[in-house]
Amino acid sequence: MAATNTLETPRRKLYWGAVNAVVLIYAFVPVIWIVSLSLKSDGELNNGRYMTTSPTFEAYQQIFSNDDFTRALINSIGICLISTFLALLIGTSAAYAIARLQFPGKKAIVGASLLVAMFPQIALVTPLFSITVAIGIFDTWLGLIIPYITFALPLAIYTLSAFFREIPWELEKAAKMDGATPYQAFRKVIAPLAMPGVFTTAILVFINCWNDFLFALSLTTSTDARTVPAALSYFQGATTFEKPTQAIAAAAVIITIPIVIFVLFFQRRIVAGLTSGAVKG
Amino acid sequence: MVACTVLSACGGGDSGAIDLNYYGDASQLGMAEIMQRCSEESDGRYRIIGNLLPSDADGQRDQLVRRLAAGDTGIDVVGPDVTWTAEFAEAGWLEPIEGEDAERATEGLLQPPIDTATWNDTLYAIPKSTNVQLLWYRTDLVDEPPTTWEEMFEMSLDLKEQGEPYVIGFTGAQYEGYVVGFNTVLASFGGEIVNEDSTEVEIDDKTVQALELLRELGTNGTASRSLSNSQEPEVFAQMQTGEAAFILNWPYVSSAMAAAAETDEQSAEVLDNLAATSIPQTTEDQPARVTLGGRNIGVSSTSEHKAEAFEAALCMASPESQVTQAIEAGDVPVTEALFERPEIREAFPQYEIILDSLQTASNRPKSPVYQNISTTISNVISPPSQIEPEETAERLRSEIQDALDGKGILP
Amino acid sequence: MSATTTQPGPGRSEAEDEAARIARQRHNEGIRAERRFGLMLCAPAVIVMAAVTAYPIAYAVYLSFMRADLRNPSDREFVGLDNYITILSSPYWWNAFFVTSFITVVGAALQLVLGMALAIVMHRTIVGRGLVRTSALVPYAIVTVVAAFSWRFAWSQGIGWLAGPDSAPLTERWPSLFIILLSEVWKTIPFMALLLMAGLALVPEDLLKAASMDGANAWQRFIKVTVPLMKPAILVALLFRVMDSFRIFDNIFVLTSGANDTSSVSVLAYNNLIRGLNLGIGSAMAVLIFLTIAIVAFVFIKGFGTAAPGADGGR
Repeated sequence: MAATNTLETPRRKLYWGAVNAVVLIYAFVPVIWIVSLSLKSDGELNNGRYMTTSPTFEAYQQIFSNDDFTRALINSIGICLISTFLALLIGTSAAYAIARLQFPGKKAIVGASLLVAMFPQIALVTPLFSITVAIGIFDTWLGLIIPYITFALPLAIYTLSAFFREIPWELEKAAKMDGATPYQAFRKVIAPLAMPGVFTTAILVFINCWNDFLFALSLTTSTDARTVPAALSYFQGATTFEKPTQAIAAAAVIITIPIVIFVLFFQRRIVAGLTSGAVKG
Repeated sequence: MVACTVLSACGGGDSGAIDLNYYGDASQLGMAEIMQRCSEESDGRYRIIGNLLPSDADGQRDQLVRRLAAGDTGIDVVGPDVTWTAEFAEAGWLEPIEGEDAERATEGLLQPPIDTATWNDTLYAIPKSTNVQLLWYRTDLVDEPPTTWEEMFEMSLDLKEQGEPYVIGFTGAQYEGYVVGFNTVLASFGGEIVNEDSTEVEIDDKTVQALELLRELGTNGTASRSLSNSQEPEVFAQMQTGEAAFILNWPYVSSAMAAAAETDEQSAEVLDNLAATSIPQTTEDQPARVTLGGRNIGVSSTSEHKAEAFEAALCMASPESQVTQAIEAGDVPVTEALFERPEIREAFPQYEIILDSLQTASNRPKSPVYQNISTTISNVISPPSQIEPEETAERLRSEIQDALDGKGILP
Repeated sequence: MSATTTQPGPGRSEAEDEAARIARQRHNEGIRAERRFGLMLCAPAVIVMAAVTAYPIAYAVYLSFMRADLRNPSDREFVGLDNYITILSSPYWWNAFFVTSFITVVGAALQLVLGMALAIVMHRTIVGRGLVRTSALVPYAIVTVVAAFSWRFAWSQGIGWLAGPDSAPLTERWPSLFIILLSEVWKTIPFMALLLMAGLALVPEDLLKAASMDGANAWQRFIKVTVPLMKPAILVALLFRVMDSFRIFDNIFVLTSGANDTSSVSVLAYNNLIRGLNLGIGSAMAVLIFLTIAIVAFVFIKGFGTAAPGADGGR
């Protein structure tokens, strides 16, 4: 989308190039340090240098030496995709109602969902553990998906309803007057406008799920449902008091890749949403 | 909830075998081998399933305690750190080991590790491994290692004056390792933190002496600047990077330094001159009383297969298992006779010092609320440079007593 | 909603009255249908959240009035507000409270300013937009504990690239707090930026153009046009950041474990609840943390007035 008041002159391109560079430095300097740690040999680890001089892929071989990590990766991907999808489905309908409809108890629902987001999770883990054990979903995908949906919902509902409120719904009416069916009006007019909010939320919910450590650790016990952040904590150093620094760094690098792919995919959708935003004029 | 890990070779063969769930250090190197061998040796009576817990001790305890408190019948064999044994026993989570079983469980073992597994004169677990810190030093910097802290300070200051590496590496960060160091110093002075049955705090002039020593380390310029942020890896690094002349650390230092030396000249240089001796004494005439580390293994009181679980635990702590763990993970054996074995002597070139230190070793307070005591101590005495011996001792007295009585809040 | 009620009058025919009645009825039915539909749409969310959290939250509140140790379930006793009194009279709590508030306030301010800047870059840049948008999110994607661990390593004297051979910032209080802030802010700017960017997307170009024609400069356009339209996005982003920041745990736990008076209230709650197994004190701390956040959130939402979700007066 070419914003109408910006001419893509070489000078402007140069200017934005420089600004982008600052963003890339911000994002990647600490990340490259983690990559560098993952590639350092035992000898190099403590030498205080930012970059590794003789990279070794030992740590990567180590984490893939058995299928524990691969299974954790599959669990993470499956659990987080399902949780994100369901959280968005449930969250979108609730957010639509909150943004668009008048009904009793609306404020209570909004308030109560915040309550869920406010309570310190460490105080909830032990009872949740007992509940999942009692109903037999401990150490299953479902046993993680349900809490993940729950704790994603407040953010989803808030973000989505904030965006839905800003959508010019008159357009829907206008489209209907022009002869569009309600479905067409929704698909062609409203959905594209809602997309930036929905995909933004999807990315945040997915990342939150992907990075969760507390529930992943406390509500699983085997490779059946253990996700990557929990699997990280099982990495063992060569002896009791050595930290598997390189392996942890390597695993962190590996599990960031699916997120980058996920974001790459969805950021395009955000762009798509923006472009159709021009319809509004 | 049946937990199948790679370790357990799930679904493989022998039907009729009971599944025994082990919760402890299953992710530790060598444990997979041990569990598999013990399962095989049971002739199809049981199969040990290693349930992974986080590799750090605190993370293990968090998970383990939650399950034990919930009365999880899926736990058969438990592997508590030496400091949790009293807690687990008092809470009724560990099955007492009595009579003939107790004899079998302690046969040929060193006494200090047995003490870690004993609470109220009853054995609650089988000692599986132990550990003691050593004083690692550079032979190219000092001809003879120091025998007392006093001497070590002098040597360090001399080296500093000569512009040589001089730092004394010590685990002074606010965490369990600092409590280990404090306990060693205190015990060496002849002091204790709590009384025998862990009802009263014991603070006296020995506590003050121990605090004075830590304060001196923190202020006399012999410690690393990052003393109060140093855990084992940082202390190791101080030796590796040539900052330290002396470090107090566990026996793994030699194997870790050898691994680093393969790719790093600096480490290789240090390795060539690296030697170990016993922890420095606090007084001229008394040997240091170094704090025991290690792990025990016991039977969960909720287990539905206690007899098999006990057999499995015995096997996992057997001399043969200890050898595997010593070689694979660098854990020090608890069976005295093993120190005669060539493979142990090879795994721990300093075996003589280790064995000596084990004879006079001390324990951290045996108490059902050890975690609370430890959290309190590491907070009150941190950082070493801010210790005001008399005042800090008084704070220790009141706050540890609160911890024992379950009053107040933990820092 | 303007209820168009027509009073039946003497000059009207029966038929007209009947039509008005039907219209009114339809209108009422419409309201009823809307209510039903609204509740129906919210039901799944409410059910899931209630099913998962109602019992644990209620249980935590219950425990906060008890003397309760996980190791000794039979020795429970109602102690009223004792736990709260113990906590509120402890200097540890107030120190942690100060640290947490400091990190929350300074952190949120930094995140808002830097997040907005990043959002504008992501929104406006004319070269490599996909690259910038994706890259900018990477810090948020790194697992927190690993990121914190790498910062700790980087700031460790002698072995990290950020600390010189002679500086050990993690051994002192204020340097530690700033490193904690850095680690926290670095990681969460993208969260802020992403939400704000989606908000920016809702600002109509032509409105900005019109303002530009009226002689508003870039800053004025931003303050007078963009920010007011983004108010809901800003509210949501800031609210969730503040709520999360106030529960900061991982970063502090890994970087300092609370040494040198850098504990946050969540680290304190962890030490008492999970490590000390003191369910009473630990739960009371959780409730206090919750209450503090609730008050802050309430003030926020009031402050933002009609921009808040669920408030009346939306479009």
